[in-house]
Amino acid sequence: MGKRWKGLTIGAVAAMMLFQVGCGNGNSNGNGNGNAAGKNDSPAQTASGGGGKKVKLKFWDFHTEKEEEFFKGLVDEYNKTHDNVEIEYSTFNQADYTTTKLPTAFASGDGPDIYMISPGDFMKFAKSGLMADLNPYFPEGAKEDFLPASLDAVTVDGKVMALPFELELLGLYYNQDMLSNAGVEVPKTWDELYTAAKKLTTDKVAGLILPPDKGPYFNFIWYPFLWQQGGNVLNAEGTESTFNSPETAKALDFWGRFFREGISPTKLQQGPWEIDHLGKKTAAMQIVGTWAINRAEEVFGDVPINVAPLPLPDGGTAATDAGGWKFAVNAKSENADEAAKFIMWAFAEDPQRALEWCTQVKFAYSPRKSVVEQGKDIYSKGMRKVFTEQIYDSAIPEPRYPSEVLDVVGDAMQQVMFGKTDGTQAAKDADGKINEALKKINK
Amino acid sequence: MSRISARTRNEWITAYSFLLPNIIGLLIFVFIPILYAFYVSLHDWNALSPKVFSGLDNYKVLLKDDLWWASVRKTLLFSVIYVPLLYVLAIISALLMNALRGKVVGPVRTMFLMPFAITSVISAIIGMFMLDPRNGIINHLLGLAGIGHQQFLGSTAQAMPSIIGVILWINIGYNMIIFLSAMKEIPRDYYEAAYIDGAAGWQSFLSITFPLLKETSTFILIVTTIGSFQALDQILVMTKGGPANATEVSVLYVFKQGFELLNMGYASALAFVLFLIIFCLSIIQLKFLSLKK
Repeated sequence: MGKRWKGLTIGAVAAMMLFQVGCGNGNSNGNGNGNAAGKNDSPAQTASGGGGKKVKLKFWDFHTEKEEEFFKGLVDEYNKTHDNVEIEYSTFNQADYTTTKLPTAFASGDGPDIYMISPGDFMKFAKSGLMADLNPYFPEGAKEDFLPASLDAVTVDGKVMALPFELELLGLYYNQDMLSNAGVEVPKTWDELYTAAKKLTTDKVAGLILPPDKGPYFNFIWYPFLWQQGGNVLNAEGTESTFNSPETAKALDFWGRFFREGISPTKLQQGPWEIDHLGKKTAAMQIVGTWAINRAEEVFGDVPINVAPLPLPDGGTAATDAGGWKFAVNAKSENADEAAKFIMWAFAEDPQRALEWCTQVKFAYSPRKSVVEQGKDIYSKGMRKVFTEQIYDSAIPEPRYPSEVLDVVGDAMQQVMFGKTDGTQAAKDADGKINEALKKINK
Repeated sequence: MSRISARTRNEWITAYSFLLPNIIGLLIFVFIPILYAFYVSLHDWNALSPKVFSGLDNYKVLLKDDLWWASVRKTLLFSVIYVPLLYVLAIISALLMNALRGKVVGPVRTMFLMPFAITSVISAIIGMFMLDPRNGIINHLLGLAGIGHQQFLGSTAQAMPSIIGVILWINIGYNMIIFLSAMKEIPRDYYEAAYIDGAAGWQSFLSITFPLLKETSTFILIVTTIGSFQALDQILVMTKGGPANATEVSVLYVFKQGFELLNMGYASALAFVLFLIIFCLSIIQLKFLSLKK
């Protein structure tokens, strides 16, 4: 082997080994990065060489399919009509998005200028100065168009930290045929819900689908059971726990019972937020949100799926959870200004865009009264009518608790679900831990 | 050291040149990050704001963290059950494979290696589907045998054994191959001689095969033990640590602290302690295994 070949071989093997160690050792992490590779959407080059420097903005989110196309469309349109700005849109896997993708990007100073935030992660990012105050960017009269509660949910110290653009409400979806065949009426009370679900449970069909795994969605579905009784996790100021109450115990016990008695599966093959459980007839009832309607109509049109307000406990008041992602601007970005303008253009100006999102791309309510007005017709079609007329008024925005509190509540729920403790004990244990967590955060 | 011949020196240069890339890689991707993690562990950091120095606070909290020590217990439990099982099953499968002849060999070997060849995460997902309480094939088979439906990953008692089962299924093939190649290196003469002397089957295994597999055994035991402490992706995919934290092993706890609660400083401290635990265990194991005969 000539000297030159030897050098070349060593060089090639060296490159290979370096590569292998980098990827091989980070085993699962390496794969994770590869999979999450976003789909870059570089907008068409504008012909005008333009005088000024183009501001480049990075917009990251997790949407897929129709939703992704919608945002891509928005970005393209904005890029075309605004010569001085070029927005690059990338999407990532939803599970990785707020847990690893955003934090690591922000930590390395390489974060996006525009991103999405959910109530579950809101405080984390708000407290780290990663959300710009959007107050100065609202167009004339736009702020008043928003439901006060929806803006309250994103306001910290008087600053509006993110722009809400969708309100997703929860309801009790059910298979009409399965209920009629079993001689069961649509449940209106907790007792009716329990008896109905129990009756409808068979080897192949689950009586009621509830999320079994810990996480923001898990808590999101459970909160109404607490709120309907007038209970809450924290006091109004959010400084102390009010978790140790009979209302909490009752809500925990009621929830846990479905799992302990095999009415709700403790392990699901598909996400608990997918209407597929009803669509594929593996379940009779499911608590899920407004986003399910479009899919139910388009993919499972032949299955008689309908929706009703969440059942109430004796003496309880109607309450449902209103979730939804918010649009945020990275306060540490050099171009926060332009980024904020884009967000406002997208969802705080022409109602048409917001309407398209809320009624065509998916089904959700807009936090803007003008949009709901304009979409009157759509909001009374099919299952949407039930939401508009019977559920909308009882909506309470999803709380934005710190992750530690979320975790403690989730643990309490699981303890009761799996028979480790009863509701009263779990509420008591969690209460102490919540106060501890609050102390740590506010110190 | 007196004169080294040019030839020997050349050999050394070649050897180190081949090793160097790997060493550099390990330095950059493994050793330096470990030192950085220790540095981070001395701070309060949530990845989104600047670091705040906090000295050994994280370690003090760690000592009193019940959830953490519970996770260490679960990890040890997992390890103590998984490692011996893997070892025994891998040797037995290797023995069986060694005894097979003919056309069956190829397909059977492929069958053993398949779960490992597809990424472990995908195998874990497949395992999860097989164990599905309602539609999984395992419950279906149990039903045929007259045994009732089990909850498996949905039961706090069965979740850990189920995970052990799936991970065993994924890794047996790989370890079997290592044993198999070691076995094939044992000269047949030994067996023939033993046969002539009247020893066969179990006896010949005990006196010939097993002792000659000592180095391979040591390697497999240590690597498997270390690996068992790091089983994150499969558990994350199958149960996320549930139900009710039944399968929350140490690595998973570190991950949650770091990426869900964004307590990077604390998570680094936990990770560093975990590193120390694994390191000590490995040393103990190595000493113990080298002492045996």
